[in-house]
Amino acid sequence: MYKAMMSLARAMAYIGGAVLTALIVLTCISIAGRLLNGFFHGDFMQGLAPGFADWMIAIGVGPVNGDFELVEAGVAFAIFAFLPLCQITSGHASVDILANSFPAGVNRFLRMVTEVVFAAVLILITWRLGAGLMSKYANGETSFLLQFPVWWAYAASFFASCVAALVGTYMAYVRVYEFATGRILVWDGVEVEQ
Amino acid sequence: MSALEIGIASFPALMILIFLRVPIGLAMFVVGLAGLVIVTDGFAVAFGRLKSETYTTFSSYSLTIVPMFLLMGHFATLGGMSTALFKAAESFLGHRKGGVAMASVGACAGFGAICGSSLATAATMGRVALPELKQYGYAGGFSTATLAAGGTLGILIPPSVVLVIYAILTEQNIAKLFLAAFIPGLLAALGYVIAISVYVRLYPESAGTRPRVPYSERFAALAKVWPVLLVFALVVGGIYLGWFTPTEGAAVGAAGTGLIAWANGGLTRETLGESFLVTARSTAMIFFIVLGAAFYNGFLALTQVPQELSNFVVNQGFSPWTVLALILCFYLVFGCLMDSLSMILLTIPIFYPVISVMDFDMVNLAAMQAEAAREVLALGIPEGMTQEMLNGIQTAIANGVELTREQMRALDIRVTQGMANRIETELVAIWFGILVLIVVEVGLITPPVGMNLFIINAMDRKTPMIETYKAVMFFVGSDLIRVVILVMFPAITLFLLPTW
Repeated sequence: MYKAMMSLARAMAYIGGAVLTALIVLTCISIAGRLLNGFFHGDFMQGLAPGFADWMIAIGVGPVNGDFELVEAGVAFAIFAFLPLCQITSGHASVDILANSFPAGVNRFLRMVTEVVFAAVLILITWRLGAGLMSKYANGETSFLLQFPVWWAYAASFFASCVAALVGTYMAYVRVYEFATGRILVWDGVEVEQ
Repeated sequence: MSALEIGIASFPALMILIFLRVPIGLAMFVVGLAGLVIVTDGFAVAFGRLKSETYTTFSSYSLTIVPMFLLMGHFATLGGMSTALFKAAESFLGHRKGGVAMASVGACAGFGAICGSSLATAATMGRVALPELKQYGYAGGFSTATLAAGGTLGILIPPSVVLVIYAILTEQNIAKLFLAAFIPGLLAALGYVIAISVYVRLYPESAGTRPRVPYSERFAALAKVWPVLLVFALVVGGIYLGWFTPTEGAAVGAAGTGLIAWANGGLTRETLGESFLVTARSTAMIFFIVLGAAFYNGFLALTQVPQELSNFVVNQGFSPWTVLALILCFYLVFGCLMDSLSMILLTIPIFYPVISVMDFDMVNLAAMQAEAAREVLALGIPEGMTQEMLNGIQTAIANGVELTREQMRALDIRVTQGMANRIETELVAIWFGILVLIVVEVGLITPPVGMNLFIINAMDRKTPMIETYKAVMFFVGSDLIRVVILVMFPAITLFLLPTW
């Protein structure tokens, strides 16, 4: 079970990373296009080779239309896709100083409660995102420049958010099991110290 | 309970949760949600907000900088830039007393110029420099403390993830903040070098010696640093010159370091996957805190707590400097317990409104008017201006008095109190941001829970934590002196900025 969840979380992180890389490349292409477009419009190229310069502009050398819309939609998906890995590796930032002095049993209990609440929050977020997706689908809202339906972006994020909720629920189960049996299933930095 | 009381009651609730080791983002989210449900008397508003708030928080164009900078830092390591920086700095400084430690600080500063995160800088440079420090007989605690302190340069020297978050929270210009962070960042590196030389003077046995390196080798090592300089110049310079937005700059930086790493053979399928995983984990952590903070701050704004607090402070008539000193001390204390990003997200929405209404007297209206008037008069006396009017204006300039409406009309300039106030607000916002950045970073190297100390100490099992704690106090001292200097002389932070 753990192995399956871990592979799932890693797979999502790889996909998110690939999307992030694609956005980086897209942004760079857009910048290059914008600079070149300015160059071909500029006096130098217009004086030197106006035909060539106009041809380059005509075939579409310029900034990528609506690039920031794609970046926004893509990065939202990437971040939702990054959540499962953070969840399963207990990567969230917390303050340890006081809890370190609690007995191990108390900490195990706190961790169980925290992880169950976390799972509930992730499910809540996913459910509300789904509701948001439904209303974007119903009202047919499209993005400003590219005119793609906004619900596409919501749907991609919703899918990743479902995986995050699933992995979060699994981690809640793990911590409940650990508290009930005293056997540690998933080790992390906190357990090593104790 | 009134909304205001609920808002105030949310602080202790949040603190208790955080100290029970509830992840900070989760704690803020839950308290914000509960507060919103209580204040608006039902689930409708809170759930309605959640329909789009998670998506809009995660799809923020400016925040896209964060994962891109994180990826850029990993690529820089894979491209061997950390090693190149250290070798170059070591060849120039290594033979001095404490020189290898100084070189580590220098290399951290260089790496900080292409990496926006303290932990990543500390971890990366630790891997490169710790073995060398060992080899040349540097004491364990001294070495670990040097690298932990050097790591904070990652975030002080732009680009910096924490500054991006601050800029978004306070609606300031990211490029200007980066520019303002530059000199304080260099001062930090200089302060650490001084701390090292003081340390080796007091404890001469803690540093070994290393032979001098011929100049030909030094310049050969220096030549290998060019990719770092290129990327830094392109990203920070490009953002500043307006070639591209900060987000685009981050994309260019990530692509640039990625290409260099690939060309050097450091970027393979495995290492790329590894970079994705590390970036994914840190990004998710940061964005969940951002989400929690957005939700919590949305609730706080509804209860009017930030507004009431700033009214209260103003009505009490505290001097701005007292307020500033109190806030900075608060950060120093809490920085010892909490990570910098969470602290900024949690406190800036509360403290910034207070600071922004304070008058630090940075902009003098009369001086601004005098400068504008001098510029006009330098082009010759405007047509139709009487000698009497000219005398009046010149007397006002000489005495540092504000110009009258008529005098400004005669000069055809318009420099009003409103303009001066706007500039003052911006300057204070930037200056305060840099100060906060520094004091929260001090928290990364102060015992007992400085994150950088843990990261570096974990790499060196033989050195007991207490040794690191002892040595790092020299660097903390250097940090504190720098904070005092920057508070006393705002111009150090602000003079690189275009004024108006």
